Amino acid sequence: MGSGNEILDTYIYETNTLLEQLESIVLEAEKADTFSQDDVNEIFRIMHTIKGSSAMMEFDTLTTISHRIEDLFFIIRENTMSVVSEENRPALFDLMFQSIDYFRSEIDKIEAGQPLDKNIDSFLANINSLIAKIKGEPEGAGQSPAPAAAAPAEKKDAAVSAGSTEDGNADFPYALRVFFDEGCGMENLRAFMLVTAIRDFCAESDFLFVPAGIENDASTAEQVIENGFLLMFKHAEDREKAIPAVRSSGSVRSYQPHDYEPPKQVEEEEEPQSAAPAASAAVSAPSASAPVAAAAAQQHQKESLISVNLSKLDQLSAIVGEIVITESMVTSSPDLKGLHLDAFSKNARQLRKLTDELQDISMSLRMIPVSSTFQKMNRIVRDMSKKLNKQAKLTLIGEDTEVDKTIVDSIGDPIMHMIRNSMDHGIEETEAERIAAGKPAVGEIILSAQDTGSEVIIVIQDDGQGVNDEKVLKKAIKSGIASPDVEYSHRDILNFLMMPGFSTNTEVTEFSGRGVGMDVVKKSIEDLGGNVSITSELGKGMTTTIHIPLTMAIMDGMEVSVGESIFTIPIKNINQSFKVSASDILHDSVEGEMIKVMDNYYPVIRARRFYQIEGGTDTIDDGIMLWLESSGNSFCLFVDELLGEQQIVVKPLPSYVNNFDMKKNGIAGCSIRGDGNISLILDVGNLYSAMQN
Amino acid sequence: MNEVKNLNTENETAVMTGLESGTGDISTQEMEDKGRRYLIFVIDDLKLGVDAEFVVEILSSHTATALPLVPNYVRGIFNMRGQIIPVLDIRRRLGKSDNEGDNLLIVLNYDNTQIGVLVDAVDQMVEINDEVILPMPAQSMQRFVSGMCTIPDGSGTMLVLDCGQLLRNE
Repeated sequence: MGSGNEILDTYIYETNTLLEQLESIVLEAEKADTFSQDDVNEIFRIMHTIKGSSAMMEFDTLTTISHRIEDLFFIIRENTMSVVSEENRPALFDLMFQSIDYFRSEIDKIEAGQPLDKNIDSFLANINSLIAKIKGEPEGAGQSPAPAAAAPAEKKDAAVSAGSTEDGNADFPYALRVFFDEGCGMENLRAFMLVTAIRDFCAESDFLFVPAGIENDASTAEQVIENGFLLMFKHAEDREKAIPAVRSSGSVRSYQPHDYEPPKQVEEEEEPQSAAPAASAAVSAPSASAPVAAAAAQQHQKESLISVNLSKLDQLSAIVGEIVITESMVTSSPDLKGLHLDAFSKNARQLRKLTDELQDISMSLRMIPVSSTFQKMNRIVRDMSKKLNKQAKLTLIGEDTEVDKTIVDSIGDPIMHMIRNSMDHGIEETEAERIAAGKPAVGEIILSAQDTGSEVIIVIQDDGQGVNDEKVLKKAIKSGIASPDVEYSHRDILNFLMMPGFSTNTEVTEFSGRGVGMDVVKKSIEDLGGNVSITSELGKGMTTTIHIPLTMAIMDGMEVSVGESIFTIPIKNINQSFKVSASDILHDSVEGEMIKVMDNYYPVIRARRFYQIEGGTDTIDDGIMLWLESSGNSFCLFVDELLGEQQIVVKPLPSYVNNFDMKKNGIAGCSIRGDGNISLILDVGNLYSAMQN
Repeated sequence: MNEVKNLNTENETAVMTGLESGTGDISTQEMEDKGRRYLIFVIDDLKLGVDAEFVVEILSSHTATALPLVPNYVRGIFNMRGQIIPVLDIRRRLGKSDNEGDNLLIVLNYDNTQIGVLVDAVDQMVEINDEVILPMPAQSMQRFVSGMCTIPDGSGTMLVLDCGQLLRNE
């Protein structure tokens, strides 16, 4: 892997993060129908960063687009949101969503190594026309903010032409000339990075730089090498702040501050003209400084987060796992038997405590909240309610539920599919229909996540029309999934929805019918070791429940022995454990065994027989009975002995042995015990189904 | 036990070869000149060679945890420094009867799958040119063998183990 890839990875990661941030801002803003000054500043900063990094990576089209959007928000920033009239606002929000989508698709292309879309003219024209609309209005009203908006841009242009011949500007008397290391390359981009850094604390209207076209024009590198890079500030204190920034940025050979002395009268005469915009800019500066400070604080907070390669985390957890095991191998070493080592035992206990903490922390590292995935659904609902002309709102519950990173990544598409499904087929076509059914006019989709300790439960619930059994059955028969002669239960019919080749909608819509059915959702969830179930009541809506086990999870389990083998049963599945005598066992006609617990009869599985284990007891009175339950299915498992409750780290079985239907037979994974041996983790649900067969 | 001792050095070289190969032209060059390295292990009087590139480690002792409801040649899984590795009994896989006494476990990494193979003993490490390896005569018994050749020191014939076949389930 070359270093170039790493830079690209970072670029993609950062840009995606920024786009996510941007999307949530715009979504919120659309609800409020305005951008707050904070939002504007934040969007400005995001666009700016994207522009800068895209320029670095030489993605010219992205640079151009982000530059124009930045311009747009520059105008809004200078004039506050009032500059955008009510009728232009929907266009502004749409444009922002459009640009987010544009960037996303382009970033995807970059990731896939495909060429970028070169044709951005129409998109640019969109932005430009909106800018013109926004600009046009205040000019017509003849208000003062308009010239102020245009002024900085003009001034910049003036400075470009002036700056190439002159070294100073009366408006920006405090100059700083920076020279980069000889032969460091890409001087113009280095200068641009510097400008970006300065923008963090200095308003754009408060400083100029020469040469101006550094971000797009590689030829400016020559000028920077020749004459140095000239920064000019309006205020002395900004220059003071800039000096440390210059010093800390790489490859700077030297810098020299010098003050501009007004040489001629002519230029001073010019000044009153530009004084007005300067003053208005100064007025807006204090109001802007508060958000800037807030943004700075926010940025500081962000710096406390770093992104780490997932494989490093995997390595870390593997090593920590080893440490924990080695620790218990050392402390319970047979060499120590019979020795009285007070100091040793004390230190060993301390070590144990520390390794436990270490393990907890290393496990928590991979856990991230589902909020990022959940937030994306806001956008889906928004877009679809516009497109389909249905009113719907999305309610998120338990966004801060933390799950393993790989799970978060892979549940996005299934959830999206279900939400689309609810929007498309669930929520009624018209408001009138809803009102007639006695429901609120606005449809509701609830997306919730819940961590039960051993699994995450994600529920997608809508209050739409629900599943029409008859229609589904008809369709299923037509698709050849169901047979017309068989009588199906409500549950069977719901299961048809998740079969391959089934889609209730006859016409393929843009959203739900891309040939991707619920079967794909089911498959991707099953790949994660989870399961999907649907419940629905006609006229009341549909609920999809997704259960996903927490891989890598630390789980509370009960260790039991059967002969030489040790099994771990998740505590949550255990209702009760009790001793029984042979006389409590009832026999049915087909050699099955049953037992009565709490006024109910449950089947008995003998682990020893089921798993064909040599050794172990077959005498009911010697062993112990565990009453287990998983998703409504209950049974009793007979084992030799309870070894005790244990926190365990779930490890998957090697794929080679998984090929032997281990999962189907109720063995979900394994766990390394304190002494280095392995216990097998039972999946109570699968064990029940295996027994049925 | 002696066999295990003097193996240690060979074991390390084996691991190193595994690492070296694929890193550049040098090893390819070497391979062209000298051929491939094989680790030869013994089952009864059979000498089987496995490409040293796949050999991760040779262990003299391990504790395998039995798995229920698997074919008898899958002895179970064991914990190698936090990694869970299946143990395959090659004697049983080849349909031979169990032998008494100590077994060695060769841990292989083939196609990103790690697997431990139980063998009687390890014989030696040899370098063999690809062209010396001859195809097996058609014989259903030897389906885990991809070829055979004479061992350079004249101590017998080496059968080349086909790791891909060994890992395949039927």
